[in-house]
Amino acid sequence: MADWHRVAAEAELKPETPLGIRIGDVQVAVVRLADGIFAINDVCTHEFALLSEGFCEDGKLECPLHQACFDIRTGRALSEPAEVDVATYPTKVENGAVFVQV
Amino acid sequence: MRTVIIGAGQAGRRCAEALRELDAAAGILLLGEEAHPPYDRPPLSKAVLLGTDPGNGLFVRAAEFYAERRIDLRLGTRVAAIHPAARAVETAAGERIGWDHLVLATGARARRLRIPGAEDPRVLTLRTLEDAEGLKARLAARPRLAVVGGGLIGLEVAASARQLGCAVSVLEAADRLMARCVPPAIGARYAALHRGHGVDLHLSCALRAIEPTPDGGLLLIGDGARIAADLVVAGIGGVPETALAEAAGIAVQDGILTDAQGRTSIPGIFAAGEVARFPHPFWGGRAMRLEAWQVAQTQPAAVARAILGMDAPPDEVPWHWTDQFGWNLQVLGDPDPSLTLVQRAEGEHRLTAIALDAAGRARGAVLINNGRDATPCRRLIAGGKVLDAAALADAGTPLRSFL
Repeated sequence: MADWHRVAAEAELKPETPLGIRIGDVQVAVVRLADGIFAINDVCTHEFALLSEGFCEDGKLECPLHQACFDIRTGRALSEPAEVDVATYPTKVENGAVFVQV
Repeated sequence: MRTVIIGAGQAGRRCAEALRELDAAAGILLLGEEAHPPYDRPPLSKAVLLGTDPGNGLFVRAAEFYAERRIDLRLGTRVAAIHPAARAVETAAGERIGWDHLVLATGARARRLRIPGAEDPRVLTLRTLEDAEGLKARLAARPRLAVVGGGLIGLEVAASARQLGCAVSVLEAADRLMARCVPPAIGARYAALHRGHGVDLHLSCALRAIEPTPDGGLLLIGDGARIAADLVVAGIGGVPETALAEAAGIAVQDGILTDAQGRTSIPGIFAAGEVARFPHPFWGGRAMRLEAWQVAQTQPAAVARAILGMDAPPDEVPWHWTDQFGWNLQVLGDPDPSLTLVQRAEGEHRLTAIALDAAGRARGAVLINNGRDATPCRRLIAGGKVLDAAALADAGTPLRSFL
């Protein structure tokens, strides 16, 4: 069952500054972009690394190890060495708090 | 038009893929000597040895990928000769295969030790998946491992073996680790990292001989050190596989000599990946042969473009990485030891070091556990802007603000 989990106060999320969190067994990167707050799986599909520790720009998150790039809105793998997309998760803001559905 | 690619490693695969992306009609035959479909080699010294999941880092493409892209992949096929005048290759099985363009992506083999005792079967190298699986099986018995060579492969093997519980010694002839790719200050950090994990590290220690001992082990006789071991891995670099090219009369000089897009001295024949020695724009057109993932990833695409009569893609800032004991090291550009190294420490184990030339332009960068800075550093290096070393040294100022 996918449940909603509170991950941060909305004010804590700075633009293009990823927040890496663990929800159960799932690592999630939460990022505020100009058009909303998005959540993707935080683990690079190439080799294990947390995307939230990577460079963020133009709606993309870059793996800190090998520079594979992922679209934060869609989870799509945009550049090699990654070939496989990362999962995306719904987000919502309620009463000043950010929730992710995992 | 048919292109035959000899060598189904990363470079051969990338050349085939790029050809298909650019030309739906191209005939593409990819000949591999190994039994496996193309794989990338970086996981061999880490995930494969450790038995951890390499993700898609090893076999980057699914098995059906090649048929789907109409890339005719033939494995277990050794090419015995190239006949440039006839525009054909001849396999070891005696088959003649014609081509319009030929790409040599034959890679390199591991350099072997040339000292007394090096022929002992317990002296190994690491190049192929079989090498890695064989080494992994031997490490399961927790041998005392001696690694010869304190470069990237040697140190990755040392770290993996140590993580598997082996006693590990490393012998390096130079006075520091990774001398060819990082400045001394970074090499010193890695020496401390390895020693902190219990690696018995011997610098300035050239190996002279390996002798069997009465107890069934091995003794490594180095300058100023005698090291007991059960197993030896030599990580002392690669030797380009140029024999086919030489026999065909193609110009070779520690690598197949090519232009910037992989054209060899014989029209219609190209070289791709680490076997190629090509003029590198980052070093002012100096002919370089680089053994790096990035070169095998991008240079073959430039070759594919040349085959199709297209220009080279834009230049890239050279980049390579190594992962040891959970530390990620990335090297961008050329952080030559002669340059001024500006260190931006972010905590004890996180560092970005930028190498500035005499004018204050970034020429290279080294990142320890700080991959977030890779893209800003790449842009600083490519941009050539004059930087203020004192301002740059303040890790509190984001690198983006210097762009």
